[in-house]
Order: sequence, then structure tokens, then C-alpha cells
Amino acid sequence: MPKKILLVDDEAGFTELLKMNLEKSGDYEVMIENNSTKAHLTAKAFKPDIILLDVVMPGMDGGDVQAQMESDPELTNVPVVMLTALVDSAELSEGAVAQSGSVTVLPKPVDLSLLLRVLEEHLGTE
Amino acid sequence: MTKKHSVVESVLDNLPVAVFVKDATDDFKFILWNKKQEEVTTLKAPRALNHTDYDLFSEESADYFRSVDKAVIKRGKLLKVPEEIIETKNGREVHLRTVKIPVFDEETGSTLVVGISEDITEQVKSHEQLANLNRNLVATNEELQNTQLQLIQAEKLESIGRLAAGVAHEVKNPLALLLLGVDYLGQGIDPDDPNIEKILKQMREAVDRADRIVRGLVDFSSQRSLSREPVKLNRVVDEVLLLTKHELTRSNTRVTIHIPRDLPEVFLDMSKFEQVLINLVINAVHAMGKTQDAHLEIRARAESLESVEKNEGARKLEVLRPGDHVVILEVIDNGCGIPNKDSTRVFDPFFTTKATGVGTGLGLSVARKIVDLHGGELTLSNREDEQGAVAHMILRTKLETSKVKIKTTPILPEAKEIDSKGRKPASS
Repeated sequence: MPKKILLVDDEAGFTELLKMNLEKSGDYEVMIENNSTKAHLTAKAFKPDIILLDVVMPGMDGGDVQAQMESDPELTNVPVVMLTALVDSAELSEGAVAQSGSVTVLPKPVDLSLLLRVLEEHLGTE
Repeated sequence: MTKKHSVVESVLDNLPVAVFVKDATDDFKFILWNKKQEEVTTLKAPRALNHTDYDLFSEESADYFRSVDKAVIKRGKLLKVPEEIIETKNGREVHLRTVKIPVFDEETGSTLVVGISEDITEQVKSHEQLANLNRNLVATNEELQNTQLQLIQAEKLESIGRLAAGVAHEVKNPLALLLLGVDYLGQGIDPDDPNIEKILKQMREAVDRADRIVRGLVDFSSQRSLSREPVKLNRVVDEVLLLTKHELTRSNTRVTIHIPRDLPEVFLDMSKFEQVLINLVINAVHAMGKTQDAHLEIRARAESLESVEKNEGARKLEVLRPGDHVVILEVIDNGCGIPNKDSTRVFDPFFTTKATGVGTGLGLSVARKIVDLHGGELTLSNREDEQGAVAHMILRTKLETSKVKIKTTPILPEAKEIDSKGRKPASS
């Protein structure tokens, strides 16, 4: 059974390409949500094993969405990986993975091999 | 000497102009030389009478006087010499305006040249001084204009600094997309894979998008003197929304644009006017920092000015007149508005209500300066209907293409609502 990934990002092109990349191996099934305000409902319906979350989005930003997931008992244990292109984030350097509480933060542009490694760590996939 | 003769001589000597007479039939020797002529030339009458120009002046000057005298005789008519310069014995230059008249003396049968000269040395000097002062004034004015342009450029560089993080973010998104495309294709290309065509299309669009953002920033940062051309306002607004997209997204600001498609073009320096709009947009975003549903509206409409506000000052009246065809551009926010105590100071240089490091206080003053340079007008006021502020601009249209005939055309119904990503909001 492929693991289920919910990808929340307002950039439709980016999400489409990331989905293609992640699904190519057959290890993952990716659901895209481009509207952050609907991310919570989509997550409840899709029941993902992991959530990839953009930070800067119109409507609700990544932090708000993450807080919403965390406060929902059904989703609170689902690991969240934040993807951010914020360049003023001092704690992130290119290619680094930062841990902030239960949230992993990955810089954009996403290094696919790094992302796959993070997914493997969280989901035990290979 | 007869009484009559002495009266004539007395009149001549008291004239405020120099008078001399030469006898053309006797080698142009001087036969009359009044007091003013003595004063002007510093030569006394006894030294001059019965002598020629060659005895009194340099050969070059004498040649010149002789040629004029001969011309007067030949023409048989009065000749005006607007300005001639003679050098006196003590080396002083005297500027003269001279009239030379040919006269036939029936009594003696001589042909005479009567000269009347006005000393215009002081006038010439004053004129030169005035010209020098004017040159200095023009140079000072140019310097002032250059300083103003430098100030505008300095403020622009400051706003580029403020926008840089956001612009970098916007470039990183297409880069992220490109990298994913490369990763996908790098895993091996299956000619039957339907994704490949989609991926290549996405990659091409990503390159175009990054290019457009970077080019927008480069165009914006370019330093040029004011060069105006007819520009469609929606083009400027699109560029500005691209450069401020990050700030608008982060602040969760909804953006609505109302620009009628047939709005006349306006005479703008694109780069400098982008600076005005960027300053106004960023200002509005800051003012809406605590607003729940932050909403920025950019509205434009064509008008024919019915009257010009009396309190705008004479300088404004010189550039905007009733009947002028203009475009009204408004940037409207629903932020905190302008406190009464600050309403007269918002355009003062270095006036800011923002925290240290957030704003220099130059944004609005430079924005107004730029609009002034365009012959337009920028005012800022609170909204009448609800909380928030309106930046109101009057901009000149290209008269030749203006189709506006009536006083006010209402906002056209083609207003489009977009979110801060420049798209229609997703349905929810």
C-alpha cells in the first residue's frame, strides 16, 4: 500500500510536479490541496500519513493550518513537513532540515532526494 | 561766433548723447565733437577736430569706422549701428549705440556724416550680469532637479531593499518547480509517459515567470532621468502587484482592481511611477497590519476636471486646469487610517509613524514629488464611508488619444476581483 501524502501549497504548478515526482516510484499516493483554508477538511477526508505544508499562502498561512491539524485529535499525530521559500529565515540554510517541535522544516527549492529521505524517516518507506 | 551758432553749440554740448560730424569730402575729418563725445572717447575737441579716425583710434577701429561712413554716404540713408566698441586711450572699452546720417551741406557743397552715439556700456554690463545670474540660476535649478532625482533614486533603492526578500521568494518558487522538473526527467525518460509534455510546459512557464519578476526588478531599479511616454495604467499595476506579491500574500491582503479597459493612456515614466504605487501599496499593507479582512483596492477612472481645488496653491493651478482630461487613480485600504494630528504631515520628508527600521519616512514625500514631476497631484485622506485611507492621484492623459468628453465616467462594470496571487479567488 502506498503511503498517503497531503500536499498543501497554493502554487498549482509546483504541487503538480512534486506529485508526479513522488508518485513515480509507486511508494506514495499524493493528494493536492491548493487552497489552504480547505486543507483541514481535505486532511480529514483523505487521512494522510504525512502532510507537506507550504508556509506563505493566501487565506491561511502554513502555521495556522498546522495549528488547526494539531488541535484535531484525528490529525494531531500526523507528522507535518513545512516547505518554505522564505529567505529571511535565519535558522535555515540551503539543504538543511530544521526541527521545530514536531514539525520538520525544509527549504524551497525542494531537494527531492532530501525530501525523500525525510519521508522515509517519518514513514519507514524505502 | 554768431549768437545762433553759440546756442546750437550749447545745446549740442549739453545733450546726453555724443555727437560728431565728419566731412566726407575732406578725408572724413571731424568738424564737430561735442562734450559727451569728449567724455566717451576721453579725447578733447581740439585734439579731435580736423583729424581723422586714423589719427585718433587704432588702425583696426579706424578701418571699421571708415567703412561704415562710406556705406552711409553710398546708401544716402540713415544707418543704425546697434553696438560698436571703442577702446579709449586709458584702455577702457566703451560700448556705443550709434546712428550715422548722411547730410549734404548746401552752403559749402560738402557731404557730411553726422554721428549720434549713446553710451550703452552700463546697459551692456548690466545685461551681462543679468545673463550671468540667469545662467547661475539655471545651473542651480538643474542641480536642484538632479538632487531631487537622486533623492528619488535613493528612496527607490531603499524600497528595492525592502522588496528584495519578497522578490527572491517569488523567484524561488519557479526555481523549485524547475528543479522538480529536472528531478523527474533525471530519473529516466519514458517516451510514452504522458507527464513529460506537462512537465516541460510547466518548466517553460516557470522560466518565463522568473524572468518576468527579475526583469521587473531590473527595470524598476534603473536610474534614468524622467522620460515620459503614454502608458496603460493596468500594465503598471500588474508590474507593481508582481513586485509586491510577497508582501500582499504574507499580510493576507485581498486585492481588487477596477481599471476600465478603455481607460485613456497616461503620460508616465514607468519606472518612477511604479515607485509611487509600490510606496502606496506597501504603506497600505503596513496600515492594514491589524485589520482582519485586509482589502486593497486600486481604482482608476477617466474624468475631465471641472474645477481645481482652490487650496492647492498657485503652483498646482499652473499644471492642472479646469477642462483638463485626466485619469483619477486611487489606492484604497481598510487599514487604520490617518490620525487627525498627522493629516498635515504625512507628506513631510522623514515623517513616519512606523517603527525604526520599517520606514524611512521618505516614501510618501517622494511619491508626491514624482507625481508633481508628472504634472499631476497626489493627496491622501481618510475614507468617508468606512475605516481606512485613500491615496488619490490626478494624472494627465495623452490628450490626442483621450476619448473622454463628459465630466465623470462611473467605474465600469468590468472590475475584476483577484487575490494577491493575481488570480480569481478559488471557490470554497
